[in-house]
Amino acid sequence: MSKEYLGEFEELILTMVAALQEDAYGAAIAEEIETRLKREVNLSAVHVTLYRLEDKGYIKSSLGGATKERGGRRKRIFTITSAGMAMLKAMKESRVELWKLVPQLKMIGG
Amino acid sequence: MNENTNPSPPKTALRLLSWFCPDYLYEEIEGDLIQKFNKDVRKKGRNYARRRLMWNAIRFFRPGILLRHKPVVSLMPLYMLTNYFKIALRIMVRNKGYSMINILGLAFGLTGAVLLGLWIKEEFSYDQFHTDKERIYMAWNKQRYKDGSASCWNATPRVLAPTLVSDFSAVESAISIAHYNDSYLFTAGDTRIIKNTASFVDAEFLQLFSFPLVKGEAKKALSNPNSIVLTERFVKKLFGDKEAFGETVTLSQAGNTIPFTVTGILKDLPSNTDFHFEFLMPFSFLETNFGKDTQWSNNSVNTWVKIKEGASLDALNEKIRDLKKKNTNEAENTELFLYPLDKTHLYSRFENGVAAGGRIEIIRMIGILGVCLLAIACINFINLSTARAARRTKEVAVRKVTGAFRYSLIMQFLCESVLVAFAAGVISLLTAYAMLPFFNSLIRQNLVLNFGDVTFWTFAVAAIIVVGLLAGAYPAFYLSAFQPVRILKGASISSNGRSRLRSLLVIFQFGFALTLITSTIVVFKQTIYIQNREAGYNKDHLVYHYLTGDLIKNFAAYKNELLASGTATSVTRTSSPITDRISNTASMKWRGKDPEDKTIIERFSIDEGIEATAGVKIIKGRDMNLDKYPADSTAIILNEAAVKTMGFDDPIGEIIEDNGIEWHVVGVVQDFVLTSPYRKVEPIVMQGSKSGNDMLGVVHIRLNDQHSVHDNIKAVSCIATKYNPDYPFEYHFVDVEYEYKFANVETTLTITSLFSGVAIFIGCLGLLGLSTYMIEARIKEIGIRKVMGGSVTSIIRLLSAHSLRPIIWAIALFSPGAWWGMNWWLQSFEYRISFSIWMIAVAAMALVSLALLTIIVQVYKAARANPVNSLRSE
Repeated sequence: MSKEYLGEFEELILTMVAALQEDAYGAAIAEEIETRLKREVNLSAVHVTLYRLEDKGYIKSSLGGATKERGGRRKRIFTITSAGMAMLKAMKESRVELWKLVPQLKMIGG
Repeated sequence: MNENTNPSPPKTALRLLSWFCPDYLYEEIEGDLIQKFNKDVRKKGRNYARRRLMWNAIRFFRPGILLRHKPVVSLMPLYMLTNYFKIALRIMVRNKGYSMINILGLAFGLTGAVLLGLWIKEEFSYDQFHTDKERIYMAWNKQRYKDGSASCWNATPRVLAPTLVSDFSAVESAISIAHYNDSYLFTAGDTRIIKNTASFVDAEFLQLFSFPLVKGEAKKALSNPNSIVLTERFVKKLFGDKEAFGETVTLSQAGNTIPFTVTGILKDLPSNTDFHFEFLMPFSFLETNFGKDTQWSNNSVNTWVKIKEGASLDALNEKIRDLKKKNTNEAENTELFLYPLDKTHLYSRFENGVAAGGRIEIIRMIGILGVCLLAIACINFINLSTARAARRTKEVAVRKVTGAFRYSLIMQFLCESVLVAFAAGVISLLTAYAMLPFFNSLIRQNLVLNFGDVTFWTFAVAAIIVVGLLAGAYPAFYLSAFQPVRILKGASISSNGRSRLRSLLVIFQFGFALTLITSTIVVFKQTIYIQNREAGYNKDHLVYHYLTGDLIKNFAAYKNELLASGTATSVTRTSSPITDRISNTASMKWRGKDPEDKTIIERFSIDEGIEATAGVKIIKGRDMNLDKYPADSTAIILNEAAVKTMGFDDPIGEIIEDNGIEWHVVGVVQDFVLTSPYRKVEPIVMQGSKSGNDMLGVVHIRLNDQHSVHDNIKAVSCIATKYNPDYPFEYHFVDVEYEYKFANVETTLTITSLFSGVAIFIGCLGLLGLSTYMIEARIKEIGIRKVMGGSVTSIIRLLSAHSLRPIIWAIALFSPGAWWGMNWWLQSFEYRISFSIWMIAVAAMALVSLALLTIIVQVYKAARANPVNSLRSE
């Protein structure tokens, strides 16, 4: 496993790319984050992070279809690579491992 | 969602983005921004969305985006550029005739410009290589006359240089340089060479100027009186491949034979210097052997001064102004002043004591000529491109419809013109290179095209691009401005305004050609006029040579044998060749001379029999004859101009005092050309042999015209060698020497005719192209005219008149300029033709007929064509 470290926002974006699949492009990701997490994100920040992840080899991209909504401009669709998937899994597992170390509280209603 | 109500995003924000965003990311980012914008419009209204879009776009201005520019950011423009060049090349190939006209015209103009440019560059580099050139000055005299006028000259007393060094603290060093004409025989081993000029300089010469020494030290080379410095070329002639440095070379002159040691070898002088010498000898040699010349009134040398760093020239000029007056007793009123070295070549013509140009005037004319040549070549290009516009409107329209921007069309047309300019540039460089030896011999320069020079290439490429852009700019903007809709609908472009501009350009072209043709005619007439000028003596069968070695001692025997053998019919000793002056003076005295009169009178010393030898005409009195009149050694013969200057009614028997001798006038000779055939004949006196044998260093021989020249020369050579075995025999034909006087005006003639040829050629090329397209544009009109009964002649007249109108205008507008210019040129000759209107008339006729010749074939073909061919497609 690589020693590569992913920042919180990077991890978030990577997860979104994995989740949105064929619909993973800049504006859609930003919108999803806004609607699901109620978190204001800046479009440029999303783009920059996507490009950085692409540089690191966790996602790859290709130009996809254009819509009228976009004034006829094509989208850049990102898809997660196996390295990206492995990274996500590794991160999730390590979180879970760490989570186990936290003294368990009784879950209310659990 | 209705597209019509969908507001478009503000362009500014997207333009801003496109400015800094890498191209390969631009589309998706723009798309995302637009998507976001549309969402914002729906949710929060248009104004909010706009602000938001701007802000979002600005926030993309961050390193994470900016740093994604790849080194080869955009292949697009490069790709398009190659495409433009490809298209341009195809268009050129398709219209071969048109491309030829364009390229040839431009190449001719460029060749001319390159050659002239090289020449100008060379002229500006004259004597600019001296290290301290800005501190080096030449001493000049300024003489003021009673009537307020003044004249300047640069011969100064020998004593001036040492005085300047010793008495003026601002002077770092000062030297004299003099070139003395006499016969100098050099002997080194078995090699013997005669030189007719010797250059004497002060020892500091090599330090003051920067003529590099291959061997020897600048400081010491000329310090010994018997040292000599030679140029490499002269060393090669004298010593061959042997080592010359430190060797001895023997110099014989006027019966003296003196050994000199070679103490320095100079690199051959560059072509861009006004100094001409093959060897240098120190003044100290002359002075240890013959004494110092301390006469302030004897102007025999040039004086060069290097002033100290930081010294004020004005202050020094102020101090030396009256130096001559202080040192002479007579009423000397010449002032001295220093004139900078770096201006000596181009700016040393003085008018009334003030610097008034000089060679720079010619250089300016050459510059104007070059620029005009280039301009008419560019004009051709502009005219042809716009005239052809009609052909390319459809192409432009289709390109625009399929999405070409105007700037990309402009780029395309500029690429075409740069390509043409480039082709023309290559051709012109090759032509210039091939022409250079010929051109060099014409202008007697040594220009080189330095292909290894980086600055040259930078300059050449820059010039080609500039010419391409200049010539292409107007057509590019003009062609790219067409409205595709109108063109594709079939509307023809109205070109009235354009054709007026074209006519204007043609007027300029042909006006320039007219000026050049007029110049050629005037220069030609003037050359012929001068060459046909009566020299005043008979140049044929007349040779002269310097009296060398034992010939001086054996002269009487030599002369007798020449006459007795029937080789010569008359022999006369003179002070100089009859084609050359040796000395002059303003201090001759005669009865009734105005003491203020400073007219310069030329001295020409003879022994006797000048009429029989040179064929000058004695119109009053008699020639000198020492046998009959032994007192003729103090006789003097005046020329008509001298008689006029001295104001004698009957000069015979008058006494003229010069050099302490009283000369008695025995005759008057008809004016003859001694110095320059361009000038009026100056007053000349022929003094008898009393001036001394030293003064009579030349002998003129009238050959017997019964024998062939070849036999005569062989005989003379034989006799000369008999009496003077140590010297090689060198002789000169007077008619050949006389011809040299015309070299300058002949150069001017060749250059003007050459360049007027080029100008006419370019102009006619352009006219040919223009008339071709004019006819093409009017082909239907011609057809209709013929169908309606127009005759071939009337159509020819119509078409020719249209083409010739701008030429008539050119003649009308440019004649005054040509007249003024040629009058100005003629002013530089005292002996000149008068400018008459018929010269312009002939030039105009020539121009019109040339133009007519150029277009007539085209016009005739068009007028003869069957109208069915041009009309059936309608």
